[in-house]
Amino acid sequence: MTTSPRVHGQIGNLPHREPESPHLRLWLAFSLSAIVAIGFFFIPAFVIRPFSYQAPRALVVAMALRQRAPVGTLVAGLICLVLALVLWRAIGAWRKSLIALVMIFVAFSATMARLNYFEWMFHPIDSQQFIAQTASKLDSKEMIMAVSFGNDARAYPIRQMAYHHVLNDVVAGTPIAVTY
Amino acid sequence: MWKRSLNGRDLHFYLAGINNQNFLMRDRETGTWWQQITGKAIYGPLQGASLELVLSDELTFGEWRSEFPGGRVLAPVAKYAKEYDSDWEPKVAKLPVVISFPGTELKSRDVVIGVVIDGAARAYPWTSFTKESPVIDHLNGTPLLVVLGPDGKSFRVFVSRVDGREAEFFLRTDTAASQESSGYRPTDKKPWSLIDSSGSEWNFQGCAISGPAQGKCLERIPALKDYWFDWRNYHAETSVYGGSASAH
Repeated sequence: MTTSPRVHGQIGNLPHREPESPHLRLWLAFSLSAIVAIGFFFIPAFVIRPFSYQAPRALVVAMALRQRAPVGTLVAGLICLVLALVLWRAIGAWRKSLIALVMIFVAFSATMARLNYFEWMFHPIDSQQFIAQTASKLDSKEMIMAVSFGNDARAYPIRQMAYHHVLNDVVAGTPIAVTY
Repeated sequence: MWKRSLNGRDLHFYLAGINNQNFLMRDRETGTWWQQITGKAIYGPLQGASLELVLSDELTFGEWRSEFPGGRVLAPVAKYAKEYDSDWEPKVAKLPVVISFPGTELKSRDVVIGVVIDGAARAYPWTSFTKESPVIDHLNGTPLLVVLGPDGKSFRVFVSRVDGREAEFFLRTDTAASQESSGYRPTDKKPWSLIDSSGSEWNFQGCAISGPAQGKCLERIPALKDYWFDWRNYHAETSVYGGSASAH
């Protein structure tokens, strides 16, 4: 007779614990997807940063992540979003702000994965113009990179190329990449 | 400079990052990552592919203008014109390096002319080269002529061979004196006259303009002006001209 409430209580404990467990799993899944989404952008951005040493293995990881970042951040970001919406109703104000903050980072990563911020620093030349050498204001001592195919001779001032770094050109029908 | 077509497909490159201060580019068509200095695809769908090198020059505008009167110049893009830094060279030379090769013969930011013949690489230190030019050397059995232009800034590398025979070249230094004694008004342009042992005179484009070899041209060799750390990083086995390991 006396054992009955205890048994009852034990049974009763199980459904009481049950709601906490899926929440924990949701939180874990949310955190994991957020780390993945953010990592897809931030790991390569960290590895491939100027004035730092790029270790060969780290570089391969960085390129692999960056290559997959547009899809990776999208998938992980969407999972984050769904989980955030599910969790949203069951949580208090400070957890809501935590989720919102994480979602901002996730959205930032997904956006940056689609943008080439290196070209913000060094803008590419979209449509290059060439001028006759007689019309050029370059000083005689200025260094240029030169190429000629057939009768088409072109000069690329190094001062300009040191900024743009890469130019897709076609010289006498031959597509070339001018790099500096 | 690279040809940017591969297996019949034209690729369009864009700046995509940096790898130990040598930039990475990607092509819009496949997203493959390429190393600028080697022209090799290091990651992505085309990994392992190589771009074909285009023979190019680093010259002063003055030298180029005299060689290619009909040539055209890349126009500055107006909205970025203020970003073009006339002082880029000394500024870059002061930047810190992230890789270095202590115990090698040169300092990280020493400028070298890098040449590769069938896999054998050699670096010609710029400072000593400009004093010694024309440099006659052998690399992997190929006789080379590394020569500084009349402007003292442009350089070119040739196979030092005329009609299948190795040739010796030197700069004639008596031109100024003979010109002056004959009443020739010296100009501000330094006299520059490259002659070979047969007495033929050669121009900076590597063609004989007088003498027995007149009309003949030397074969050009691609060469890269680079910082030592970058050259050494991609050519681990490189020798250094004038250095301890170059005498073979």
